[in-house]
Amino acid sequence: MLVSIFIAVTVVSSIGAGLAAMLSISEYFFANYGPCQITINEERKLTVEGGKDLLSMLATEKIFIPSACGGRGTCGLCKLKVLEGAAPLLPTEEPYLDEKEKKSNVRLSCQVKVRNDIKIEIPAELFAIREYTCRCVDITDLTYDIKQFRFELVEPNTMDYIPGQYVQLLTPIYEKSSEEVYRAYSMASDPSDKHRIEAIIRLMPGGICTTYCFEYLKVGDVAKVNGPYGDFRLSDTDSPMVFIAGGSGMAPIKCILHQMKNEGIKRKATYYFGANTVKDMFMVELMRAFEKELYDFRFVPSVARPQENEKWDGEVGLVTEVVQRDLKNAAECEAYLCGSPGMIDAAIKVLTEMGMSQEKIFYDKFG
Amino acid sequence: MKESPQIQRLEEVLRSSKLVAGGFMGNDVRSVSEIIDADAAQLARLGFTARQIGARMQEITDIAKGALGNWLRIDDERRAKAEEAKGAIVCPWPHPGRFAKRVTTVNVIESDQSVRWADLNIHLIAEHGFFEGKGSNFRIEPDILVKIIF
Repeated sequence: MLVSIFIAVTVVSSIGAGLAAMLSISEYFFANYGPCQITINEERKLTVEGGKDLLSMLATEKIFIPSACGGRGTCGLCKLKVLEGAAPLLPTEEPYLDEKEKKSNVRLSCQVKVRNDIKIEIPAELFAIREYTCRCVDITDLTYDIKQFRFELVEPNTMDYIPGQYVQLLTPIYEKSSEEVYRAYSMASDPSDKHRIEAIIRLMPGGICTTYCFEYLKVGDVAKVNGPYGDFRLSDTDSPMVFIAGGSGMAPIKCILHQMKNEGIKRKATYYFGANTVKDMFMVELMRAFEKELYDFRFVPSVARPQENEKWDGEVGLVTEVVQRDLKNAAECEAYLCGSPGMIDAAIKVLTEMGMSQEKIFYDKFG
Repeated sequence: MKESPQIQRLEEVLRSSKLVAGGFMGNDVRSVSEIIDADAAQLARLGFTARQIGARMQEITDIAKGALGNWLRIDDERRAKAEEAKGAIVCPWPHPGRFAKRVTTVNVIESDQSVRWADLNIHLIAEHGFFEGKGSNFRIEPDILVKIIF
């Protein structure tokens, strides 16, 4: 009897041990992809340990592809061409790619896993994107839910960027986030100061990066950014300009206004800035100063619904309603928009109805 | 009850901070299945389905978003506003689904009671019956939600 039990136990244990060994062997062969080679633009070769997504592997090698969502496949910005070695297109990529892009092997690098040798093509200018170590030197409350963060660049200690561009700020692991994530923020700084950058950030309830910035980031803390990224910038025409922004959308417009002052740009410009209530309005004095310093600049702040106890003698209504009332020559102008996706959509609708062609409307919607 | 590997994996994602600061479970020690079952039972007592709740939430968000972040009267008793940020958030369940980073707040004018939700919450409630764990940023109590939106 005891012998039978012993044999049964031994057989069952052996089967268990055999299965465990098979599992380990399969894991080794199927989940461990070993060293893989990434060939970039047919000239640069990187050897990486396979298994992770292309976006993060390139970032590890200090090649930063634009991304506003930190690699979660929700912004559609991290496009590059995969010439060889990628798995088929994923359903998560399809909404971000048009037919032309699909035919020319454009992929979202955050969705492409490196499991074998792979050949990719990326624009040469992305090699110029760098990672910067910086120190937070100032945090200013602009409203109850918008702050301005100023960072001093430490290593490298200068950054050349085009006003309107953005950087990705690294949120480290902290109490409310178990992993590092990047989020995109437009630079608000005066571009003549190459040692410092500013970001204007609005608190998003539950937002991983904004919660970190508002509740944990302190003056003196070290931070990391990479960039600069983006095509949002002044055109080189002489057309009159219309800026339309709301909330933290102030950032790139402020940066462009500094540029206009520094470079003595003589273009007529009108800036429509919308706030919901008077307590959401900020930087009015700075904008009034720009009115005196720039060639032909008018700032038109508007409050959608002033509260009973708030004093407001400026324009009243949604910023798009103010544009409709105030702008007389839309067809001749170019428009530069920054704000929530809803505001951008509403502004595009109003401007095109007023006769502005779609090609003259510039914006960064960040997915 | 023993959870399947898929549910265990889902629970890991919900308790992590991969998608939202602090995660979806807050300080709730119950499993995701227990939270969903308890809220479903409460909804049944209230006489509503999760899909009905989701449809009403979507209706309110759709009305409010036209006001670009400002309060808008949605009927005689309530006002709502929908505030939007750049970017999108994905559903933590293992299927494709991305939602605008938009937060809708509904306020009952007479009692000044309010409730808020993100676009993702509408999907989580309508499709997964998930109102989030207690203590999370966007936990919505079904009885309070029903009282405010209907």
